[in-house]
Amino acid sequence: MLREGFITGAGAFLPGAPVSNDRMEEHLGRIQGRASLFGKKALRWNGVESRHYAMAPDGSVSHTNADMCARAVERALEQAGLGVGDLSMLAAATTQGDYIVPGHAAMVHAALGAGPLEIASMQSVCGASLMAAKAAWLSVRAGEHDVAAACAGEFSSRWFRPGFYEGTALVDDEGRLRPEADFLRFTLSDGAGAIVIEPRPRPGALKIRFIDIVSLASRFDPCMWAGSTIADRADATTAWSHAGPRAAHAAGAIALLQDFELLKKVIRAWVGVYLEKVEAGRIVPAEVDWALVHYSAKSLRAEIVSLLTDTAGMIPEEKWFSVLREKGNVGAASIWLMLEALLASGRIERGQKVLCVVPESGRALVGFMMLEAV
Amino acid sequence: MNDVADVLRRLTIEFTEFEGRLEQTPLIRKLTRGRFELADYRAFLVQLRQQVKDGALWMSRAASNVGEDHLELRSALMQHAVVEHRDFTILESDYVATGGALETIRSGEKNVGSEALSAWMFHQASQPDPFGLLGAMWIIEGLGSIKAQEWGRRVKETLGLPDDAVRFLLYHGENDASHIEEFKHMLALVLPDEAVARRIVKTARVTARLYALQIEEILP
Repeated sequence: MLREGFITGAGAFLPGAPVSNDRMEEHLGRIQGRASLFGKKALRWNGVESRHYAMAPDGSVSHTNADMCARAVERALEQAGLGVGDLSMLAAATTQGDYIVPGHAAMVHAALGAGPLEIASMQSVCGASLMAAKAAWLSVRAGEHDVAAACAGEFSSRWFRPGFYEGTALVDDEGRLRPEADFLRFTLSDGAGAIVIEPRPRPGALKIRFIDIVSLASRFDPCMWAGSTIADRADATTAWSHAGPRAAHAAGAIALLQDFELLKKVIRAWVGVYLEKVEAGRIVPAEVDWALVHYSAKSLRAEIVSLLTDTAGMIPEEKWFSVLREKGNVGAASIWLMLEALLASGRIERGQKVLCVVPESGRALVGFMMLEAV
Repeated sequence: MNDVADVLRRLTIEFTEFEGRLEQTPLIRKLTRGRFELADYRAFLVQLRQQVKDGALWMSRAASNVGEDHLELRSALMQHAVVEHRDFTILESDYVATGGALETIRSGEKNVGSEALSAWMFHQASQPDPFGLLGAMWIIEGLGSIKAQEWGRRVKETLGLPDDAVRFLLYHGENDASHIEEFKHMLALVLPDEAVARRIVKTARVTARLYALQIEEILP
């Protein structure tokens, strides 16, 4: 007999002071000392106005990815009225951890300083957040753990410094960075978020109704990736691990890259999966009170909205809640930053349903989590 | 659950699955991975020509089978057929502009998928009140408005061809901006009706499957 799982606390951690659009490029550094031609356009597309970085302009680091996650887990536990000693299971998600090996969860556990724990490391892109949540939720449901945490963190900015791109194939003779890399440089930032899941509710808790994760990787080539060049990204035998790190870096195979053309197709595929959920009655748009959608680009939102309106799949825009504009796009952590902010706003009423949607362009994945306030 | 929005939702699901299936075909994989060759493009044009030529013909036949209760839909199908019935000649001139011989594309044979697709379309068009074909139009015109321009740009870039060798793909994309509004209007002429709604979605699914088969067979 499975138990229920309730989110009893949520925590967020953002490093340092917010960095505005007019200061961000200076903060990260300019490629070969020149202002990006693409940056302003990228900012218009992504709709971000402010973000946080764990790396200062001089290269010093205030927190590691694992540190930020540990702080978010502590805050989530505190919100739940618990302490680190109560935790028995930790699932940690990230796009790129502090180390290549070991896994992110081990690093977060060490930073948290808790006693022995069961851990699970989830490495993907934005959707890793829900993979970790599902692992934590199912271990609570199965009766294996009474207090489980799922966290997600990103430290993207360390990859965005000019020296990381300069002298590689991603920068042309005139010092221009490939848009595939530059868009992400102007889009992603740092931080972490976490939730605590328990088998019993507390006042203000959210019952997890379902977490559905659908990968469409067999349909598409990588859409957001690191580890291969743009041209050879579909051929894993030419990836960085075969070329060796130094040659791979020079070829532009280490940086995080995004294919915009493919992204449009992947977005249609996400919409298709969502509409299948609507068609099957798994998601009833009219019953959703809050929609937390982790969209990576504001400019793409209009396109999706018109398609959803035509197909009776739209959740009215006044029910959408986002912190993208003020807190930035923090990859896997974003969904927890949104949920934490919504909970902290005190606007969720008992009985209301919260739908979290986490698309991941990586290789075309989309996750849905339905919550109900109890 | 059978009004325009419900059917559009089911059709959108069908289209996204179709698009995913196309992405996995060897021909489109070669195209998106920058490994497309001139021979691939020519083979593609040969199959497209057969299917585009038939398109206006089955649409005319369908129009002739639309009953008096749906005259506006009949007009719409006839207009569509008039607008498109010479489009296959653009494919011929594209083919010639790549350096191919007119005779070759004209005498090109339908592959297994094209045969099946064509037979299916004419069979559907021959039924009384063949409203299911709206589902087929959704798939085929969706290709025009969503995929053609992307493919055209890639073909042009990869093969370094002049515009006049890629006119069909490039021109289709430009032409279909109001496509969804017109389509919604046509759906509203036959909906709500449960049997018709089911037929439209089923016809879209079969058409998509056979279309993908045609693409698969170009480069097996």
